[in-house]
Amino acid sequence: MTGYQVIPTFCGMCGPSAGCGIYAYVKDGKFVRIEGMKESPLNRGRNCAKAHAAPQWVCSPDRLRYPMRRVGKKGEGRFERITWDQALDTIAHKLKEQKKKFGPESLAILSPARRSYSDYLYRFLMAHGSPNYCHSGICAMQNSFSFAYTLGATFPAPLPDYENSQLILIWGKQPVYSGASKGSTRLLVEAKERGAKIIAIKPTLEPDAALADIWVPIRPGTDAALALAMLNVTVNESLFDTDFVTHWCYGFEELREHIQQYTPAWAEPITGVSADQIREVTRLYATTKCAAIDAGNGLEHARSASDTARSIAILIAITGHFDRPGGNIMPVGSTMPAPKDVHLRERYTQEWVDKLVAPEFPKPFQPFVEGTSSAYFRAFESIITEKPYPVRTIVAPGTQPTVSTRGSKRVVEALQKLDFFVVIDVMRTAEMAYADVVVPVATPYETDHPFEFTPNWIMARNKVIEPLGEYKSMYEFWLDLGVRMGYGDDFWNGSMDACMNEQLAPLGITIDELRAHPTGIVYPMKPMVYEKYAQTFSRRSPLLSKSPFLPQSKVAIYNTTFEEHGFRPLPGWHEPPESPTGTPELLKTYPLIFSDFHTSKVYNASWLRNVPYLRKILPFPTIQMHPDTAKERGVKEGDWVIVESPHGSMKVKAEINTGIRPDTVMSLHGWWQECHELGLPSYPILDGGANTNNMYSVDLDKAFDPLVTAMSSQTLVEVRKA
Amino acid sequence: MVASQYGFDFDPKRCVQCHACEVACQAIHQLEYGVGWRKVVGVWKGPFPNVTSRGVSLACMHCGNPPCEAVCPRGAIKKRPEDGIVLVDQEKCFGCHLCLTVCPFGAPQFGNDGKMQKCDLCMDLIMQGKEPACVATCPAEALRFGTLQELSEQAARRCAQKVTESSDLGS
Repeated sequence: MTGYQVIPTFCGMCGPSAGCGIYAYVKDGKFVRIEGMKESPLNRGRNCAKAHAAPQWVCSPDRLRYPMRRVGKKGEGRFERITWDQALDTIAHKLKEQKKKFGPESLAILSPARRSYSDYLYRFLMAHGSPNYCHSGICAMQNSFSFAYTLGATFPAPLPDYENSQLILIWGKQPVYSGASKGSTRLLVEAKERGAKIIAIKPTLEPDAALADIWVPIRPGTDAALALAMLNVTVNESLFDTDFVTHWCYGFEELREHIQQYTPAWAEPITGVSADQIREVTRLYATTKCAAIDAGNGLEHARSASDTARSIAILIAITGHFDRPGGNIMPVGSTMPAPKDVHLRERYTQEWVDKLVAPEFPKPFQPFVEGTSSAYFRAFESIITEKPYPVRTIVAPGTQPTVSTRGSKRVVEALQKLDFFVVIDVMRTAEMAYADVVVPVATPYETDHPFEFTPNWIMARNKVIEPLGEYKSMYEFWLDLGVRMGYGDDFWNGSMDACMNEQLAPLGITIDELRAHPTGIVYPMKPMVYEKYAQTFSRRSPLLSKSPFLPQSKVAIYNTTFEEHGFRPLPGWHEPPESPTGTPELLKTYPLIFSDFHTSKVYNASWLRNVPYLRKILPFPTIQMHPDTAKERGVKEGDWVIVESPHGSMKVKAEINTGIRPDTVMSLHGWWQECHELGLPSYPILDGGANTNNMYSVDLDKAFDPLVTAMSSQTLVEVRKA
Repeated sequence: MVASQYGFDFDPKRCVQCHACEVACQAIHQLEYGVGWRKVVGVWKGPFPNVTSRGVSLACMHCGNPPCEAVCPRGAIKKRPEDGIVLVDQEKCFGCHLCLTVCPFGAPQFGNDGKMQKCDLCMDLIMQGKEPACVATCPAEALRFGTLQELSEQAARRCAQKVTESSDLGS
């Protein structure tokens, strides 16, 4: 092991921040391998498969090398090399011109998920004058919205207290594959070893959740019906915490009356879960003193997403499991002062909110915790429909609209019509051929910023290798563009160090001083305090009025805020756009339920298929089928099959095991990319490829949750041998 | 007799099949694509809905009496007396695959050069007092490493912990 340079830094293979701590090994200027950083309180020296494959990702032949401008027709994929000055000038010129002609809101920036650069995107939009930060409508904020307006708890609260729990309901979540080394694995296996019971509520039993003691194999998209029936059992069997309900809940009697219709017998044909099992799971949860619900991202992809999260929030509350040991808690954080964010939130006005092209949450609920947001897919719709006005420029920083959101056909149609499209990425993206300008950015291993932090750990990022191409970092790009647009005062006149020093001011250190701590600074956690009800239930919202989330300073079972704005005061039930109970007439042609998952052990959404060590583990797009379902169709393991829904089709390989409902088939989302090293091809983005997004309805009336925009990812399909 | 036999310990109850061990191994040894010195194999059990899935992480076990060593016609496979690590001499190996036919774990691997390669227990790392890459990275701490004596003592300690934690022993 001689001749290596060892550099402490963060892993950059997933997000949102912060990454796990790593030591990067460099030999002769080449990034060779990583080793876990034991000093990091986040990953404690452990890393996942993705982290170890980082050098292959950084050195991929797919890396963009220099800025480019499109010379062929849209979609043709012909580009010419340009300089950074030309790229920045072209973008700045276009944005200035459109701002003058159509108003600043004609610009939309996509951000499917929270990233360490999200607040820089917001800052640019703020300086420019557009509220159109476009969030996916399917990730984290959908659940968080319902929890906030029911319990006063915002992401990541109400956190399942794995360490003290005796019963954990893993609901619509892959607990391990989303952040294997960030503690979720350790917490799960330690809970199991301690004797905690694990219940997995989900249509498929991935290997991680297969550690569960009880599996509740629910039909995709029907979690709200299950949660409502669990409320029914809790209330009718008097399994609730009378004292908590009396003191801290608003509208319990209205709930009692409202949920009479949602009996376990009502939920059974919808959810595919037997009434007996619904009762059993509810009784276990309600009567176990230390019981937590780990509600995942899978619940946010349904037309009844907000009903699910609200029902779960109410369930946590009335069973007395909120902010108590082993339940769902409000974390207290550490003694570390929070770094200043660069968002410029103080500039929000009502006029700003009114300009949103496709509000992700209804306007009376904007801004929410991340800021103002438009829904990603519906911003594309505005280009086609020109309602309420067409977005003219879309910037896609590290996101791939044709594979990241539903309705790929509509997205391609919109990209054809869009005036100006900028792709910022490290690699070729699925829809790069439509870009007017392509901006190549450095990987996190080729830059020394930004610093990253968790609630109790902050560390400077160090550069592992010199950039392998003509790159700027994502951060430098926005600072430089800001300066070129004439917003230099808001962008530290292009100085990243000045930018980081401003953020670090609350900690009383500079970036150079932070860098002097190679493994960062760890702060002690504050001692846990439970039952912080008075404080939590009077938390103020991020709305301009700063009005509290909960007007009665109690759990909003009956939600007067929602009622006031024309939404259901109590959670209810919406069928998915297509389902056995909602559209039984379709079953003859399409007898199986289809849905997809977004997380896998080796990929992040639509990334990383080009990394050979990872691709070797999951080489082909597949559809998971029960052995009986496969047999009825003469399908064998590894056969290529055609999957057809009323909206589209895919060609994938059959993956057969018993860990899935026989009436359901599921695929992994995000397939399109080739792997050159292994000679594995790319797949078409539209029908006949392996893109799950083509399979679903994007009907604006049927496919979206009216409150939180969640896009449904359920439909009916038939599967046949290719 | 080996002075102090090194080995792996694996707890299938902890494995979540994340494949971190597998890729950490490939990365540290810079293995060519398709060659894996360590592999995670998942097994589904039980009819729907009483289903479990367990994973096993497998690599060379550095056996006490290695069958591969016994059958190698070139004497290319040797067990080191000081620590029991089973090593293959690439100079001597001529790629006959006989070792693969007798190994119960499928550990011997063959790359483009046709010669046998396999886990060397990250000799270079353990000489520095570190753990093998697969063990160091395992997020579930399902893989452990040490001398057989150490591993057996650790297992006994874990068992004792469990027994004393079960409530009916009184306080």
